Amino acid sequence: MSVDLDQTPRSLLVCDRSSFLNEKNRISSQVEQLHFNYKVSLLLPECSSAPSHLDAVFNSFNSFYLIRNMPIYELLDKHFLKTAVYQGSVYGVSYRTRIDEDNCVALMPNGHLSLSLDKDSFELLGVEGKPSRFNHRTTCRYVVCVDLTDSSMAPGGRGYQRLLTGLRSRLQLKTDFLLSHHPGGGASLQDLLSRYDWSEHRPDVSSHTLTDLSCPALQSCDLQSCDPHSLLEWIGAVDAHISCENSSSSFLSSLVCPEPKTTVSRALSVSVCGLLLPQDVHRLIQQIRYYLEQPRLESWVSLTVHGFVDSPVSWRGNEHGVLRGGENFYSLLIFHDQTYQLHLATGAHDTCPP
Amino acid sequence: MDEALVQVAIPRDLVDFLRVEPQTNSKAQAFTKAFLRNSTQQQSQLKVQSMLSHKAVILGYSRPKKDKSRRNSKKAKGLNARQKRAMKIFQIKPEHQRYELFLPLHELWRQYITDLCSGLKSTSSPQFIQQKLLKADFHGAIITVVRSKCPSYVGITGILVQEFKHVFKIITKEDKLKVIPKRNSVFAVEINGFVSHIYGSKFEQRASERSAKKFKVRGTIDL
Repeated sequence: MSVDLDQTPRSLLVCDRSSFLNEKNRISSQVEQLHFNYKVSLLLPECSSAPSHLDAVFNSFNSFYLIRNMPIYELLDKHFLKTAVYQGSVYGVSYRTRIDEDNCVALMPNGHLSLSLDKDSFELLGVEGKPSRFNHRTTCRYVVCVDLTDSSMAPGGRGYQRLLTGLRSRLQLKTDFLLSHHPGGGASLQDLLSRYDWSEHRPDVSSHTLTDLSCPALQSCDLQSCDPHSLLEWIGAVDAHISCENSSSSFLSSLVCPEPKTTVSRALSVSVCGLLLPQDVHRLIQQIRYYLEQPRLESWVSLTVHGFVDSPVSWRGNEHGVLRGGENFYSLLIFHDQTYQLHLATGAHDTCPP
Repeated sequence: MDEALVQVAIPRDLVDFLRVEPQTNSKAQAFTKAFLRNSTQQQSQLKVQSMLSHKAVILGYSRPKKDKSRRNSKKAKGLNARQKRAMKIFQIKPEHQRYELFLPLHELWRQYITDLCSGLKSTSSPQFIQQKLLKADFHGAIITVVRSKCPSYVGITGILVQEFKHVFKIITKEDKLKVIPKRNSVFAVEINGFVSHIYGSKFEQRASERSAKKFKVRGTIDL
């Protein structure tokens, strides 16, 4: 950590406050626009074990598939396009590749294939692209975005042939690939999976109970009550099991619970890891609303959804980069009166969230 | 010379050999007299006239150039660059832009490279071949763009038809004439299984000038 710590890179935080009862709330579109969710963590205060309907949602998260060493041109396979891409939405992102040094690929549910390539690979591929927005002085990274549902990318078309020969003979791009399909599940991907070394994974659910947790006194949806930065910091610290019982002048850690604070006797923290679909997140939000309708001691629930750090895209398919963390996440604070606070946050190399 | 020796009759064996007939004495005398009169009479008259008349002598300060006429005729033979451009001498007519027309050229080039690399067997060292190829002429080679800063050039394959200082002209299998800048592209040349990559940015010379150029060895080349 030799970098100058007093000069932190820019970060973006968008705060949104609305109610689920408000017809104009944008929560569903905001949830849907972050395509590649890596982790969902949930904090339920005054709760020792998750109620059954929440448990059911956790366990019914769509499973996803990991294909090892898949050549990227397989995504242009005629059969795959017909059965998966044109029908419904495919979520695919390259795995174990780093956005700042490797070539990363993402297949978005709207049929856009986004390739984030380094300079040499881009020169080899021979498909039009744009220089990355986050280049510094010299262009060393390019983004190629192709709409697979476009007429020019129909199998046999010129654009299709060009990309196919580019990926097949010139730039033989192979990565581990995470794949998920929304309505079809594995059945529509079976043809592609059968040709390679693949494994099916279920989202990994882990939960643990916290006792005597000091937490900020969040009564209702008023932004003034708590500074969003310190609130997010606290949520992150709880999720990462970092103690917040410090004084603000402590040498080791200055993480403290924002004032005013109360103490809850027990809290449940649940986290789900994997390639999670926005649809599942949305289902979870609905179930949390249902959960909050019953009278509780603490009247709020916090839900944080983290996007993939090394995904080439973040919100709305905009380009995403990593500078020091690559974080792109949103945190939803739901209150019992159906109001919510939404904090959308990104790091330095990202566009503004919606 | 003795007068007697001149007047002697030609010997018989020489008559047979030279196939000439000796003249009689009187005839020869008459011929000689007439010949002498003809050649001396006019001479004496001219001499007298020139002696009587004045003669003007022009004293030029420089000699007229001897080969002026010859040079003029030489210049008229060729065309200058503007005329060549106007006549489109170095442009291939659209009806001649056919791939199969240039296949014999490619065969010629193949032979030329095989001769140049002394046989071009699979055992010969790639360094040797590359050294030879560096100075060789590439007209007729099948070249492919393998890398380029401009993505639309990547993947074009064809027979090299013309090479200019900054540009290759290629005819593709689809009978299209493509003009590809050398700068910012990498070309691959394949011959008998040897694939050589040419960095166009370092190759920006005319074919004739390149043969005399010394290429420097560089560690890494970037486009």
